[in-house]
Amino acid sequence: MAITILPPPPAQLVNYDVSDSEDEDMPDAQGDIDMEGAVRGSKRPRTSGHHIVTPGELIADDTQWMRGHGTYHPPSSTAIHASVAGTILKTNKLLSVIPLRARYVPEIGDLIVGRIIEVQARRWKVDVAAPLLAALPLSGINLPGGILRRRTAVDELNIRSFFTEGDLLVAEVQSVYESGMAVLHTRSLRYGKLRNGFFMSVSGTGGGAGARRGGVARSRRQVFTLTTGRGGGEVDVILGVNGFIWISKHVEAPKEVGITRLEESVSYEMYSSTNDDIAPETRREIGRVAGCVRALVEAGKRVDEDLVVRAYEAALEGDEEGEGGYLGGERGRFVVEAAMVG
Amino acid sequence: MAPSATQTLLSPAELSYIHHSLSLSPPIRPDGRSPTEFRPLFAETDILPNTNGSARVCFADGSEAIAGVKAEVERSIARPGLDISADDDGEEERHGENAWVEMSIEIPGHRDDDALPVFLAAMLTEALLADSELKDRLWINRRFHWKLYIDILLLSPPSSYPLPLLSLTTHLSLLSTHLPALISDPADDPLFNDDWHSATPLYPPSSSTPPVTLLVTTIGETILLDPTPEELAVADAVLALSVAAPLPSKAKKGKGNPQARLLAIRTLDPPSRLTPLGTTAGPTEGAPPRTGMAWAPPQGGLKRELLSRVIKAVVAPGGGAEEVLAGLAGVVA
Repeated sequence: MAITILPPPPAQLVNYDVSDSEDEDMPDAQGDIDMEGAVRGSKRPRTSGHHIVTPGELIADDTQWMRGHGTYHPPSSTAIHASVAGTILKTNKLLSVIPLRARYVPEIGDLIVGRIIEVQARRWKVDVAAPLLAALPLSGINLPGGILRRRTAVDELNIRSFFTEGDLLVAEVQSVYESGMAVLHTRSLRYGKLRNGFFMSVSGTGGGAGARRGGVARSRRQVFTLTTGRGGGEVDVILGVNGFIWISKHVEAPKEVGITRLEESVSYEMYSSTNDDIAPETRREIGRVAGCVRALVEAGKRVDEDLVVRAYEAALEGDEEGEGGYLGGERGRFVVEAAMVG
Repeated sequence: MAPSATQTLLSPAELSYIHHSLSLSPPIRPDGRSPTEFRPLFAETDILPNTNGSARVCFADGSEAIAGVKAEVERSIARPGLDISADDDGEEERHGENAWVEMSIEIPGHRDDDALPVFLAAMLTEALLADSELKDRLWINRRFHWKLYIDILLLSPPSSYPLPLLSLTTHLSLLSTHLPALISDPADDPLFNDDWHSATPLYPPSSSTPPVTLLVTTIGETILLDPTPEELAVADAVLALSVAAPLPSKAKKGKGNPQARLLAIRTLDPPSRLTPLGTTAGPTEGAPPRTGMAWAPPQGGLKRELLSRVIKAVVAPGGGAEEVLAGLAGVVA
């Protein structure tokens, strides 16, 4: 059967019984300091799993509570209201709301994958799934012909020959303005234009702590190389903190060179948009890795090196014939389950 | 030519990668499906109590649409000169008019007079009317007819070309549409049975099915059903095929499975034509060109031989159309 049509899943029944959740999740108005967390001695933040607040909803009107992320005081009032839709997180006396769904909030040092949206006089505007487009100044890239070269008027005129609209790049957040706009740089041989692979976008780290839905989590290693089966060779996976993922054929990195010989490796090659030859086996395995990531996100699981590798192994095992196949629905769930167990 | 599918911004390297993967034999789709495999979808009917028929469909990419069909009795315009009533045996011929079916599409972020919703509505109505049985069934008597109002609402922003989603939703809502049964004499002013259980289906089992419009893309020699936005972005040609199930009378007569009826074909402007050329060399002329494949936007049209293969892949017995229609019929049943 080439098409599967399913009845919609039944809506999840939400228990809106306030009396039940009051003492557990809602701050009580009596003013007692909640020592429950301290008694248990757990550092794990407690989130109210089944109570959702909407923007503007009153969370607490007692002055003992402190206002955290996702909340606000209305003018001339000390009551705390939610500013986003989400669940309440209570850490001692601090009340914050974890949004159900949020855009990526850039932080200095994040490794991100972005797409050029706009070319301006001396900089590019990059879509990084943040509320504002990030800026990549011309001075923030490796200019061909050596790292120590000054940028010239010729480079400004040739700006489109480095990156043009639609190009993908991997970069690092260099600084963040007060408005939340990020400034990027690619001044490392690990960063730069992306080639030889496939792009996919999942939800990224919204900046909030605590329980979150599936997506890329900040982890120790955002970039890793996966040795694939069925003759696929090695595949590079870049998990951008912003939720953009790049899966590509592994190309042997140029040898570490001294700073004096850097100009040889930073050649015009770096800004070419032509792919190398990629074998069909590699393409199939890249597709399989992408399917694993998609299955993980659909199941609401975090996407990191460990889980991706285990899900990939499970997908490889489940596919005896080497046919590939769609990793959605039933098969996707199976792969995720196997990855969580293994 | 139809307004082009919504542009997805992709880099030349991505375009070249996806295009080359799909033109291999067998093609490797980015999500691992086989060329004729559809993504799973969710569907339900009879969701709106105030309509004669309604449906909701959710695609795997998160796009969702609902459609409602509302029927009203309307006075027919008398055309004395054209009166082709009474045959010899006194039975009147049932002749419907195109104006008896009205469709409106609402897409978030688009005005109702934008090119996209207007064109999609025209394309879906065209396929609906190509099967003249429907409008003849709306005829009540010489002075009255049913008027069908089909309202389609896309609930999610149009991430990819929404035509197949809207078409499947319309199909399901029409399949579930019932009209109240007539209890008065055919010649009199119509009076209807107010028992909803005795209402007659708009598409009775003895008739054909409403049309389904499927999007088919070709990339090199590959034919893909149910393309994703990335696949549309690299397509050489995009075709919208409107098909309906074979007439039951023919199905019984012919030996084996008859093929689906093709009602309309449209070509859509593939967005890949507007993509920039991939650069082979660096910014200076002195740099040596790279070996490998640079992206070049496709040129030219669709070859006849390929077009006939596309049509065969869809309408042939056991082809894409048959499976989709069978799957959709299962939702209503």
